[in-house]
Amino acid sequence: MSRYAREWSVAGALAAGLVFLALFAPSFFQPQPLLSLAARTAPVLVVTCAMSLVLIGRQIDISAGSLFSVCSVVAGLLAARHCPVVVIVPATLLVGAVMGALNGVLVAGLGLPAIVVTLATMVTWREGLRWEREGLWVDLPERFQWFGLPQAAGQGGLILVALGLLFLLAMGLRHSAGGRFVYAVGSDAEAARLAGIPPRRVGFLLFVMAGALTGLAALLNTVQSPQVDPNCGNGLEMKAIAAAVVGGVAISGGRGSLWGALAGLLLLACVGPALTHLHAQPYWEKATQGAVILMAVVADGWRARSSGRGRGRA
Amino acid sequence: MAEWVFFALYGRHFASLDNSFDLLRHSAEIGLLAMAMTAVILTGGIDLSVGSLLGLCAVVLGMLWRDAHVPLGLAVVITLAGGALAGAMNAWLITWLRLPPLIVTLAGFSLFRGIAEALTRGVDTFTGFPAGFLFLGQERWLGAPAQLPVLVAVAAAAWWFVHGTAGGRSLRVIGYSPEGARYAGIPVERRLALVYIASGLTAALAAVLYTARLGQARADAGTGYELLAITAVVLGGTSIFGGAGSVPGTLLGVAAIAVLNNGLVHLRQPREVAGLCTGALLILALAGAAGWKKLAGRRRRWQLDAQPNRSIP
Repeated sequence: MSRYAREWSVAGALAAGLVFLALFAPSFFQPQPLLSLAARTAPVLVVTCAMSLVLIGRQIDISAGSLFSVCSVVAGLLAARHCPVVVIVPATLLVGAVMGALNGVLVAGLGLPAIVVTLATMVTWREGLRWEREGLWVDLPERFQWFGLPQAAGQGGLILVALGLLFLLAMGLRHSAGGRFVYAVGSDAEAARLAGIPPRRVGFLLFVMAGALTGLAALLNTVQSPQVDPNCGNGLEMKAIAAAVVGGVAISGGRGSLWGALAGLLLLACVGPALTHLHAQPYWEKATQGAVILMAVVADGWRARSSGRGRGRA
Repeated sequence: MAEWVFFALYGRHFASLDNSFDLLRHSAEIGLLAMAMTAVILTGGIDLSVGSLLGLCAVVLGMLWRDAHVPLGLAVVITLAGGALAGAMNAWLITWLRLPPLIVTLAGFSLFRGIAEALTRGVDTFTGFPAGFLFLGQERWLGAPAQLPVLVAVAAAAWWFVHGTAGGRSLRVIGYSPEGARYAGIPVERRLALVYIASGLTAALAAVLYTARLGQARADAGTGYELLAITAVVLGGTSIFGGAGSVPGTLLGVAAIAVLNNGLVHLRQPREVAGLCTGALLILALAGAAGWKKLAGRRRRWQLDAQPNRSIP
């Protein structure tokens, strides 16, 4: 089981954390708030899957949060105009895919570093959206919430969709040729190219897919409340990267699994509400996130150093 | 190419280039960050944490002044030391643990801002700085904004170091090929540590200027500044991959951004448009640089193909 050693240790930490909470903050385990927490985390899980795919391919996408906000607003505006759901879903996915394609063209097509490109697109989308919305929220019609289902069913449905998507993607990543390509390109793009795998096309498709998945996540998030906040995606990419990195996805690419990212996300998602239930200050959440990323990466670096491996450049 | 960008913007906004010293003040902080960022990017790295570190240093300065009642001069020195220390932490992770600068500074981006927000509980703002301190940020000295000598001093030091000393010139070698630099006897780790510590130090210095300019220290100080600094460096002709670039180019990049912001303010555009334009500008600059390189490569190949095979034995 050593291939999944990292994932198991994260799951172990998660289990330990849950036991700790059960002993010291049992109020955390009430069914309705827990269900709501899970439903709120479902969109983040989808974005984390998207981010994990991108990271495994040795890229990075810090524009995911702004992309999420834009897609949320687009979905909200379409819903406010009473578009049928069958139109809203593909339209939102398309918007996400197109924005992802822009990242893809710049990174894979022109060979620009993903960090700077996605930094630029992140700011561009965020400021453009802020300018256009002028801070106004979008009001959603009643029927749109939870896709018209009662709340508990809607929440359960969202969680199932997210988990199902995770399962599909994880299976695809491990067993399909395309998934193998992603790992290959992420480990060594030049070697992959020599083996006949087109690294640039894989990279481009990764960004398009990440965009579409983030659009879907935005949709899953929009149906949960009666309004859309144009700032809803702020900081989302950091959460996704933190979850992925904690779960064993390497920043330098080629390693990691979606199940690990799930474990990482669950671990991190519990931190915020756990702090509340332990009556600690909520302002430490962002700092905790940064610290967790740092600790996970340092642990990886330490292990690599002591086992004599060289460094991987992002 | 950097000059071309600058003059294009300069020409368009010439009419609005009156004595907007306020924008010069704002640019002084970006300029400081961009100086250190140039050195970092030359080595092929990046520092995404400078904006958040600026915020943290501002908060630390405010806390030292207001809560710990430390004399302001000493508080400034402690803040600068703190910035250098944060830079040293980045440097240690990058050189000792061989972690990619990307993820280390990305974690710092989140961590520093998070600590700043936690320390101020999200809402606290430090005010009440003495007039002597605020002079640095808001008054003029010999007819120019008081920040200007600071910026000029740092820019001159950066210019001298990067272009004049062997240590500075080695930065470009490190960026072009770290292993090659090591074989050439260049102390790569030491140079890298130096640039990241300098980055932290300038972030702290910029935080001091920022606080003096606004008269208050807040946790959200410096938000987005890392993007502006990187944009200035890239606009100024430095390659984002490292190995090529110049300090005067970055200064022109800072000026270009200042002119752009100035123009937007005069056109009475809201703040968001400035952010939008900066992001778009960075994309255009990067795409332009990449496209230029491809064209140059293609043109050279045509020229080589057109010549008879003299050079091939």
